[in-house]
Amino acid sequence: MFAKIKKRDGREVHFDDSKITDAIFKAARSVGGEDRETAMELTLEVLRMLKQQSNGQVFGVEDVQDVVEKILIEKGHAKTAKAYILYRDRRSRVRDAKGELMDVVEDIVKETDRDNANVGNSPSAKMLQIASAASRRYYLTRLIDEDYSLAHSRGDIHIHDLDFYATTCNCLQIPLEKLLKEGFNTGHGYIRPPKRPASATSLAAIILQSSQNDMFGGQSFPFFDKQIAPSMDGADEDKVYQAMEALVFNLNSMHSRAGSQVPFSSINLGTDTSEEGRGVTRNFLLAYEAGLGRGENPIFPNVIFRVKKGVSFDPQDPNYDLFQLAVRVASKRLNPTFSFMDSSFNKPYDDQVAYMGCRTRTMDNRRGPAVTTGRGNLSFTTINLPRLGIKAERNMKTFYRLLDEVTELTINQLYHRFQVQCRLKVKDLPFVMGQGMYLGSEDLKPDDSIEPAIVNGTLTVGFIGLAEMLVALTGYHHGQSKDSQQLGLEIVNYLRRKTDEACERFNLNYTLLATPAEGTCGRYVRLDRKEYGIIPGITNQEYYTNSYHIPVHFPISSFDKISLEGPYHRFCNAGHISYVEFASPPQHNPEAVEAIIRHMAESDMGYGGINYPVDFCCNCGLQGVINEPNCPRCGSADIRRIRRITGYLSTIDRFNDGKVEELKHRLPHS
Amino acid sequence: MKIRVAGIEKESVVDGPGLRFVIFVQGCTRHCSGCHNPDTWDFYGGQEMDTGEILAQIGEGRLNRGVTFSGGEPFEQVAACALLAEQIKPLGMDIVTYSGYTFEELQTKSLADEDVKRLLEATDILVDGPFIAEERDWDLPFRGSRNQRLILVHESLAAGMAVQAE
Repeated sequence: MFAKIKKRDGREVHFDDSKITDAIFKAARSVGGEDRETAMELTLEVLRMLKQQSNGQVFGVEDVQDVVEKILIEKGHAKTAKAYILYRDRRSRVRDAKGELMDVVEDIVKETDRDNANVGNSPSAKMLQIASAASRRYYLTRLIDEDYSLAHSRGDIHIHDLDFYATTCNCLQIPLEKLLKEGFNTGHGYIRPPKRPASATSLAAIILQSSQNDMFGGQSFPFFDKQIAPSMDGADEDKVYQAMEALVFNLNSMHSRAGSQVPFSSINLGTDTSEEGRGVTRNFLLAYEAGLGRGENPIFPNVIFRVKKGVSFDPQDPNYDLFQLAVRVASKRLNPTFSFMDSSFNKPYDDQVAYMGCRTRTMDNRRGPAVTTGRGNLSFTTINLPRLGIKAERNMKTFYRLLDEVTELTINQLYHRFQVQCRLKVKDLPFVMGQGMYLGSEDLKPDDSIEPAIVNGTLTVGFIGLAEMLVALTGYHHGQSKDSQQLGLEIVNYLRRKTDEACERFNLNYTLLATPAEGTCGRYVRLDRKEYGIIPGITNQEYYTNSYHIPVHFPISSFDKISLEGPYHRFCNAGHISYVEFASPPQHNPEAVEAIIRHMAESDMGYGGINYPVDFCCNCGLQGVINEPNCPRCGSADIRRIRRITGYLSTIDRFNDGKVEELKHRLPHS
Repeated sequence: MKIRVAGIEKESVVDGPGLRFVIFVQGCTRHCSGCHNPDTWDFYGGQEMDTGEILAQIGEGRLNRGVTFSGGEPFEQVAACALLAEQIKPLGMDIVTYSGYTFEELQTKSLADEDVKRLLEATDILVDGPFIAEERDWDLPFRGSRNQRLILVHESLAAGMAVQAE
């Protein structure tokens, strides 16, 4: 009857009416129909109607499908019609996604043209990006409820690490001492406990790497000094130094995820007062200070030095010398950052709170012991606060209604993800779960669900752009007005109450995070500009301000910045950090850095750090601020420029556009 | 009292030990080759400020260890700098002064000029001598060329000769 049909891509192919029958029968079967006969009769009806409509043209697939729908309804097959329509809709969503996906793949492949050959450009990295794009598409269109995926796509919320939605969890504070004591197995055989310092730190690096391959987020040693001290027993200073140097080198060169990135590693230390423990901290800091082979600033690991009165903070304390050393290294290398064990919310745990380099903190636990080791965040989702501020049009009642809606949605989405994660088996995370690293995984079998372990993890609501939200609500951000600061604290406290309530409701560890938001900061602004245009003080920058931070372009003294940001730390129990920005490296001025650290401690902060530009001439080793493209000492153009981005150090060429803009606007305190 | 300044930096980490409030005094006759701040040479450049206004700003810097006079050449507006330095001292802050003159030259000048004597005596650390491009050293703390010294002024005045910090 018809010789040809036109496919969606424009090609004309042989018209095969049995395909119509197949589609109708498939729809009928999905609602209980079993009669192919009827499907064939209906096909004839379809062909009849098509003939009536025909004036010799070639029909398209969509035209035929329209007619099928019409016939099914007209002939009284309502249920089949509905199934058919749903099927069509789903197919077209998948098709759209496929089209977009192919565009994304094309972009990724094209990136080869980019001239700096960094890790993010390697073949494996591109392969991973393609897989990541496909995973995101899959999860958004197939796995995640429409409410959540729409909210994510619109930019009301941001589901972080979406590409790993169903395959693993975020981060882990690793029980290093246990693995070193008992040995471990990465899948190809048993590794014996180390006998020498250098083997211990080599294994430590391998453990970080293996654990990174099981998870998408940061990997940390929560008490590195204490955890590795037993392996240093009796070793002389030189041996310990060499072991620590090897660790720093390893963590800056060994790749995970098939060569696409080095592990996001963090090391907490500073409060072990034993001779071996002190030797670990001292030599680790010295090795970090010395830098890489040509004196380059190490990028990894993130180093977190614990500050505690009676242990390390005051001149009479046993580890005060290590604190002084930590300050000196921080004055030159951006690391360590400092965690404050005496802040009101950390003090109840003595010195047991650890941070992950990007700022996450896991402590309270309603499903098991409140410890750091063997736990971490499961996933987090960030709320776009500025958008709520804009939509509320200065009406606080509207604002809180909107905030309630989106917080509720986020809490439910996190629960959905948790349920998806619970479907994972121990054998899916062979190292982290299989080797009993996660709290509660010790007695699980390979085919058991990981649920008994991950109930110890945290489900985390994050927020970004408190400053822009306050401008939208009041005209001023919290650096500009005391009232705005009051309101900011009120709103963040409110969010915390919401996550506390969610703990009760789901009997899970819900927590509130001051999100660093690497990619989100630019994405939200782009989406909000489309919707609301450029609003001064809100969408006029290329990025939203990190969590509760004072905008980086706002001139403010470091004293005031710390005083204003300090009170937010205690509400953000999933993690927080504040930074002070210097115009130049304070490498000859540890005293200035110490003054800042001390004020952070006084301001009830949990975690803080110092930022400044680190430009390094790879030719002559000059370090400082190099504003010109070439080294002022030797003229070389081989300049490595390191900055901190969302907690971790990175070279500038790896920043995304939003963060590049933020960096341009970062204003040292004046 | 009025003072002509090129600019003010409220929290610096490179102009002396600790966090420091820096006053870049406008005007300098030396015009050293390779000078870091050539904008500060012109005696009619920058802006005029009242010393009281600057003092008020200094009071706000709650984490600062002290104040640094840089430039330009602080000893070209020595009366205003001396006054400020004397008013800053009671705030518990110390004074770092940069000068193109050497400590010995300033000692001689102070015999004839009471204001030079006042600023010198109020200064804790003097970074002295002109910037000499050939003596440039990127690794020196707080100064640009090897001929420049960090002089502990009180010790030096007591000893009658330059005593260096390192």
